[in-house]
Amino acid sequence: MSDDGLIQILHGNTFVVSDTNGDIDASPTDATGLFTYDTRFLSKWVLTINGERMNALSVDDLQYFETRFFLVPGTGTVYIDAKLSVIRRRAVGHGFHEELTILNHEDEPVELTVRLDAASDFADLFEVKDALKKKGRYSTEVDRKKLVLSYDRQTFGRSTAITASEKAQIDEQGLTFEISVPGHGSWSTGIDVSIARLVIGQPLGPPETPEHAQRRMRRDLDHWLDAAPRLECDWDALKATYHRSLVDLAALRFSPPITGGRSLPAAGLPWFMALFGRDSILTSLQSLPFAPELAATTLRALGDWQGVGIDDFRDEDPGRIVHEMRYGELTAFEERPHSPYYGSADATPLYVVLLDEYERWTGDRAIVRELEIEARAALDWIDQYADLQHNGYVAYQRRNEDTGLENQCWKDSWDSISFRDGRLPGFPRATCELQGYAYDAKLRGARLARIAWKDEELATRLEREAAELKRRFNRDFWVEDGQYFALALDPHRAQVDSLTSNNGHLLWSGIVDKSKAKAVARQLLGPRLFSGWGVRTLAEGEGRYNPIGYHVGTVWPFDNSFIAWGLRRYGFKEEAAAIAAGILEAAEFFDGRLPEAFGGYERGETRYPVQYPTACSPQAWSTGTPLLLLRTMLGLEPQGEHLIVDPALPNTIGHLELLDIPGRWGRIDAFGRGRVDVRRTQARRR
Amino acid sequence: MSPDRTAPFFEELARREYDPMLRNARGTARIEIVDQGKTERWLVTIDKGNIAVSRKNARAETTIRADRKTFEKAATGRLNVMAATLRGEIVITGDPRFLVQLQRLIPRPSGGP
Repeated sequence: MSDDGLIQILHGNTFVVSDTNGDIDASPTDATGLFTYDTRFLSKWVLTINGERMNALSVDDLQYFETRFFLVPGTGTVYIDAKLSVIRRRAVGHGFHEELTILNHEDEPVELTVRLDAASDFADLFEVKDALKKKGRYSTEVDRKKLVLSYDRQTFGRSTAITASEKAQIDEQGLTFEISVPGHGSWSTGIDVSIARLVIGQPLGPPETPEHAQRRMRRDLDHWLDAAPRLECDWDALKATYHRSLVDLAALRFSPPITGGRSLPAAGLPWFMALFGRDSILTSLQSLPFAPELAATTLRALGDWQGVGIDDFRDEDPGRIVHEMRYGELTAFEERPHSPYYGSADATPLYVVLLDEYERWTGDRAIVRELEIEARAALDWIDQYADLQHNGYVAYQRRNEDTGLENQCWKDSWDSISFRDGRLPGFPRATCELQGYAYDAKLRGARLARIAWKDEELATRLEREAAELKRRFNRDFWVEDGQYFALALDPHRAQVDSLTSNNGHLLWSGIVDKSKAKAVARQLLGPRLFSGWGVRTLAEGEGRYNPIGYHVGTVWPFDNSFIAWGLRRYGFKEEAAAIAAGILEAAEFFDGRLPEAFGGYERGETRYPVQYPTACSPQAWSTGTPLLLLRTMLGLEPQGEHLIVDPALPNTIGHLELLDIPGRWGRIDAFGRGRVDVRRTQARRR
Repeated sequence: MSPDRTAPFFEELARREYDPMLRNARGTARIEIVDQGKTERWLVTIDKGNIAVSRKNARAETTIRADRKTFEKAATGRLNVMAATLRGEIVITGDPRFLVQLQRLIPRPSGGP
């Protein structure tokens, strides 16, 4: 169940959100319904018996793709006369299948009118968020066996078909079953709600039966869990968090039509079940030691969609990696630019980072050769298209002023990039972590050029450029009076001087001079940034700081996982362990499912992490966070054909083993014992 | 009548013989161009970057269908292929990856559609 009392099940990018009765009764702006490919195919699905709606007794979340509702007729809040009970078992596939069962608890037979009201508004996901008006035409088709709901606008058409296994009277508004249930007997019917018309991703051949689909999905989940490394440790909550992460990551897998059935991580459930360059790359990085195949699919799919031309509406340049891909009506009619949209300044360098990191773990050199043109184009984009300030730094400014994104870094809300005094800089903006990613991409690109492309000249040039970038960066971005790196340079090349978590990403990228690393680590664990649970996005005391501001004070678990990785990279093992401990302890309060973000309040003040209200859970990179933290705590690092294990575990964890870690070494086990006194490290910051 | 832009597109594709942008692609597509009730068929086979074009009416795992106006706009970079596919102006059955890879070869006027 999600936090708002809604029930959601999903498979790929098809999902059903209903209330606890299993009913869907959506208004234009609310989020219930059957959705696939960013379109709502069913907005009304209400069960009544003899005119009465149901009352929920309980809901069983069986798996992420199936659920069971136990109901009784009547909506009263007082005791209900339960002569009947009703079970709706629902599984999502290409649409959904529902088994409706009615049990009669009396001695006498009963005559019942069972009714399912059905309708669809065929809203685009973006319309559901913004309540926009439809421009096309609705129609309904009824025959003896089937109800078909349709929406057409020029050549654009979407349809939903509804059929039942038992005899029903079908009209334009739904299905009616006039039935008799014997004493102590039961009646049941299967109902299929299927996506009948959709131009892309249509499976060829007959659709599989619901039973077959469920068996296949259960088998698939078992295989997925079996293939992942096994975690043994003294801290039960961590084991639960780990299991939760693996199951959620399984649910977040998504197969875009171009991947031949292979999957990559989508950004989040349910509204971001789509290909997002940044989210798919970062989540693939986090899960490399656990499910490396996600990275391979991500790299191929993003390679296929890499920009080839200049397109202002889509903020596309040659070599640029996709930001977001959508399939709904607004995208189809180019009222939104997501076909696909390219407005991200970090996905392109991070693409090269992922390709290299993937090879380091798996030894899959063939993919480095396979994606050579794409990786080279990504490296070229950094120099040829991203230098919008003409100073050798990666910067962003949207060309689509209407529906493009203002902030094209991971902190993408309108006020995320600000000066100490709260002023917002102009555009183009060169945020600091982009320079770190570019630096890392160049060095990793150089390695790939040597090992797989046999291009020494390119390798030498990239290394020279990286060294030069590092030198300039440490000069131009360093805030001398604060001893940290500025958040960005504004279009006048002035430092956007607030203190932010971005400093941790800089450690991860390696762009930070050794001589400055200690000061940066001290800031990250210092009282202005570290809340006791984790590092805040923006430091306490800055003009726009707000402990529940989206990117201006909250703590983002994924952000912290990369910060911990960065701290390890520079040898700050204890600091990395302190962050891992804080975030994993917070996870316990969320039953192992870390939210996208939680409040930046001081830990001692609230005693528990205050969740930031968000519509999306689980979020892919929050799901990947415990995985990356396990890597950083164990100090897992591929080196040649071997895996180095160098544990620095919080003493709150005790003994920990991660067994059967896949990689170029085959499978390997890692062990560690908690020895880092994290409370002392956390307290030392005062 | 406007000049035929369909044949030149396929002739240009055939002349390439090999394009590294398609080196990871493999498959055969039948491209059907509908014009005043008649269907013109082109068969494009890509095998690791090697391109073969013919007018054979053979079986293909993927078919791409559009009217001539739509096709010519797409072939000259004046139409976003993905958006047109979502609208149903271009209808694809089989493997959409083929179309995504093929459209990478299409030159686009600066500023885009």
